[in-house]
Amino acid sequence: MISTIAYGLTIGAILYIISIGLSLTFGTMRIVNFAHGLIYTVGAYLLMTLLPVARENFLIAAVMTIAAVVPLSYLIERFVIRKLYGVSIDYAIIATYAVLLIGVDLIKWIWGASPVPLTDPLGSYVTVFSVTLPLYRLLIIALSLALYAALWLFFKKTMVGKIVVAALEDKDAVRSLGISVDRYFSYVFVLGSCLAALGGLLYAPITSVHPYMGFMILLISFAVVIVGGLGNLRGTFIAAFALGMVMAITGRFWGPAAETMVFAVMAVVLIIKPIEV
Amino acid sequence: MSENRTIRTRGPLLDLAVIAAGFVLVLPVLGLNRATDFMIFCIYVLGFDLLYGYMGRLSFGHMLYLGTGAYAVTLFAEHVSQNPFLALAAGIAAGALIGAILGPVIVRATGACFALINLAFNQIGYFFVLVAFSKYTGGEDGMSAYFSKVGPIDFGKKTVLFGFVLFCLLLTYYLLKKFTSSPYGVLVRSIKENETRVKFLGYDTFRYKWITFILSTSIAAFAGALSMLNYGYATPSFIDPTRNVEVIFAALIGGPGSLSGAVIGGAIYMVISNYLASYIPRWELFLGLALLIVVFRFRTGVWGFINDRMKRRPATYG
Repeated sequence: MISTIAYGLTIGAILYIISIGLSLTFGTMRIVNFAHGLIYTVGAYLLMTLLPVARENFLIAAVMTIAAVVPLSYLIERFVIRKLYGVSIDYAIIATYAVLLIGVDLIKWIWGASPVPLTDPLGSYVTVFSVTLPLYRLLIIALSLALYAALWLFFKKTMVGKIVVAALEDKDAVRSLGISVDRYFSYVFVLGSCLAALGGLLYAPITSVHPYMGFMILLISFAVVIVGGLGNLRGTFIAAFALGMVMAITGRFWGPAAETMVFAVMAVVLIIKPIEV
Repeated sequence: MSENRTIRTRGPLLDLAVIAAGFVLVLPVLGLNRATDFMIFCIYVLGFDLLYGYMGRLSFGHMLYLGTGAYAVTLFAEHVSQNPFLALAAGIAAGALIGAILGPVIVRATGACFALINLAFNQIGYFFVLVAFSKYTGGEDGMSAYFSKVGPIDFGKKTVLFGFVLFCLLLTYYLLKKFTSSPYGVLVRSIKENETRVKFLGYDTFRYKWITFILSTSIAAFAGALSMLNYGYATPSFIDPTRNVEVIFAALIGGPGSLSGAVIGGAIYMVISNYLASYIPRWELFLGLALLIVVFRFRTGVWGFINDRMKRRPATYG
């Protein structure tokens, strides 16, 4: 039971880290960003490649990965996302999906199509109530909580954060104050992408790295965003952990049904409260 | 409005003749099997485009309805009757049924929500076929379908099947042409432009959207059922949500919102995936780039491009 809870919390933490960026782009720019799944995958692959470069130091490799994702996500924002403002949302979905397709194919080209397992970077275990758990998982949960606090401070205390929150509420009002909203959207996009890469590199040692790893987690993150409410940071936090627990509990009784259960929850939420975009 | 008039005055007969002649002419190049496959895919694109091009709702889970048809027809043939016509009817009925059940939930949504909720249901359906009901569907291995002869009609003969599928394509095209140029169809297109206004005029838009959705899922299921006659084998790839992008691309490249565009797009996609894919090793890369070009530079598709060219010529069409 303890291990199920720990598993659920780990997935919830990863889902939270990934969903933040998705929720922000969805909430501010009204763009369903499939490319987010690509950045997630790239994060995992870059970590894998940079680990030997960083002499197997996980922390340094992680920092290098995120530093590398910044220009990449800026390029995607500059050449694809920025052109999608004001365009029908269908085209935004299709265009970002196209970016995902292109990226996945490039990944297969560069790194090959077969899955690569990574080892637990810590390799140590802790015993909680006579159940042994990998320390790494507990650290991920702690990190997501720290991230929640940091983002809370960012959106409450900094100017950039406040502008983004205001834009979530009413983009045009912010624009009429003479603030270049689109520029802040670029920041938000890059920030969200960094978090996606962080999620990817954190989760990579738990599962294995393969080109299509982004698809399913992206769909589940959409479920998180929808259940939590668009651009609602606290809602995203709660929804991520709730759906993580749903996955863990379903997975305990019937493994293959775990992801389907998440979609069922999402469908129910959409039936009760459809989102207007 | 002038576009409406041209649709009405020209009539669908010329289109039907061109489509039939086109598929018969390319028959020697493609071979019977592939030509039949092309036409089935065109039927599927027609069903999808009714929803996307005409009603303005992007479904990111249309494989569910194709798969419903494919599996319904196979299960029907295995457990009830091997009469291919009854099985086809069962496939279409299954498509209509799933549209009727899911419709009230799905059509209330718009935009991104519509796309994602379809995707969610598609994922659930995929899970049902692959895991939950794998005892009946054969799971990953799939299941085969056998059909008996009905009188002189034997769908085991590829020429007979080709003729029948061509007839089905023309029939679907004809009925959709009638549907989309009827007052009902015009209303559906108005919903795409401005649903609030249509509502304000006193129409119950929900009912119109629901019926159009059922029609679209039935056509998709019809295509899935027909491909069982052609392949004789149902695999989970018929319901795989990652393949949704194919029909979206086909509808976009042909030009959304026109039946001719849907048929052209379906044919173009099939040519690309059947022939170009063997020359282009980076197939997904190519598909992605093509999608980006379509979205950013070529939004009206091939048919829109042709239409523009024809309109620019001075008034020979009066």
